[in-house]
Amino acid sequence: MQGWLAPRYLMWLGQGFGVTVGLALAAAVAATAAGSALAMARHARYRPVRYAAGAYVVAFRNTPLLVQLLFWYFGVATLLPEAVMQWLNTPHSVHVAGLAVHWPSFEFVAGWLGLTCYSAAFIAEEFHAGLRGVPAGQHHAAAALGLTPLQAFRYVVLPQAVRISLPPLFGQYMNLVKNSSLTMAIGLAELSYAARQVETETFQTFAAFGVATVLYIAAVAVIEAVSHVVAHRRDLSFARR
Amino acid sequence: MQWSLFVNNLPYLLVGAFPEGPLGGAALTLVLALSSALASAVLGMAGGIALAMAGRVVRVPLLLVIGFFRAIPVLMLIFWTFFLLPVMFHINVPGLAAVVCALSLIGGAYLAHSVHAGILAVGQGQWQAGLSLGLTRMQVLRYVLLPQAIRIMTPSFVNQWVSLVKDTSLAYIVGVGELSFVATQVNNRLMVYPVQIFLFVGFIYLVLCTVLDRVATYWLTRSGRAAQASVRSAAQPVPGE
Repeated sequence: MQGWLAPRYLMWLGQGFGVTVGLALAAAVAATAAGSALAMARHARYRPVRYAAGAYVVAFRNTPLLVQLLFWYFGVATLLPEAVMQWLNTPHSVHVAGLAVHWPSFEFVAGWLGLTCYSAAFIAEEFHAGLRGVPAGQHHAAAALGLTPLQAFRYVVLPQAVRISLPPLFGQYMNLVKNSSLTMAIGLAELSYAARQVETETFQTFAAFGVATVLYIAAVAVIEAVSHVVAHRRDLSFARR
Repeated sequence: MQWSLFVNNLPYLLVGAFPEGPLGGAALTLVLALSSALASAVLGMAGGIALAMAGRVVRVPLLLVIGFFRAIPVLMLIFWTFFLLPVMFHINVPGLAAVVCALSLIGGAYLAHSVHAGILAVGQGQWQAGLSLGLTRMQVLRYVLLPQAIRIMTPSFVNQWVSLVKDTSLAYIVGVGELSFVATQVNNRLMVYPVQIFLFVGFIYLVLCTVLDRVATYWLTRSGRAAQASVRSAAQPVPGE
């Protein structure tokens, strides 16, 4: 181990970490929305909707994320019309209040889509478990109090279901950060990709992967801390009522 | 799509260049998954028992090590084993061994917590009952706790193994010729059918995972069913008595 990484390489790793965080955040928001929609669909009144949601969850949970990413990256490119692909592959930027907002690369979009579809299936399962974890008596009690089904869901079932599924939901966010490393296979320059690149250039294997590993652990630790804070806040706000 | 192209590549997807060359494709995925499933089960059992039996001096470092493996992406650990082991020990680690090593360490870390939780779930009363019968701690663990804990732990073992099957696709990164790697090879060779190829590969993984799920659940609950059956037959009044 000769010395430490040059600032230039630390910068690469820093940029990679930025991409990882951005990708994980964007995918977390979309996957939470899609996951709650899927969980609702699993409790829908119409049987075909329930079956379709169940089939989605089984298909996306039981195939590797890597294959899904390769499918989105290579497969969708051939399905989309030529003009759309050209638009996606050329850089675009929008100027908002003096700041140039760049449209992300096709790698980023494909990675985001793949991560979102994959994580949505897992998050849907957590919400599904949360909804099932609310005892049937709560539904009956709400109905006996004269609440409409929608009110009963909103004010009685949902708060309890969220409470049950919050800890595993944060576990899924941690998985999301870890899974974002797979997007290096489709050429997105996130943290693992940057670490690999630094390793090839400097041959400082230990330092390159060490920094990346520490950054991943830090990201997971932050999510863990946030989950504790959120759980604590919820308990406090419930205690005050 | 020309059907013949697909049929010509099917053997390559399933078994690689076997029997002329090395084993590859879906068969290699299966070999990778089975060997790391076995190793992770052994590691997880050892870790979980150690967590349950050891004092604080051993438990804290053990928890830290397990926490480390749970916090980093599988891909990072594969890099560590693949690039760093040769540097540190001056031995040539083949990609296959590096991947099996990484997958079993991560699987073992997750399973250690499940085993620990399973042993705790059996309850303090069983410990005390076993000890008061004059069994040693090891005997209590072996004959009283584990047989009951296995039944509680079955779902987490099956879940972990299913995700192991999916994670074998990461061997692609270090050039091991398993199913995903072979799929990208075929995709690069044919160029024009990425959608069909990746859908088919996803389907193979889906079949592998669901079959593993069913078989493992059946096999692991078999002893429980047999025990219940023997209890039921033992409870029958013996004719002529």
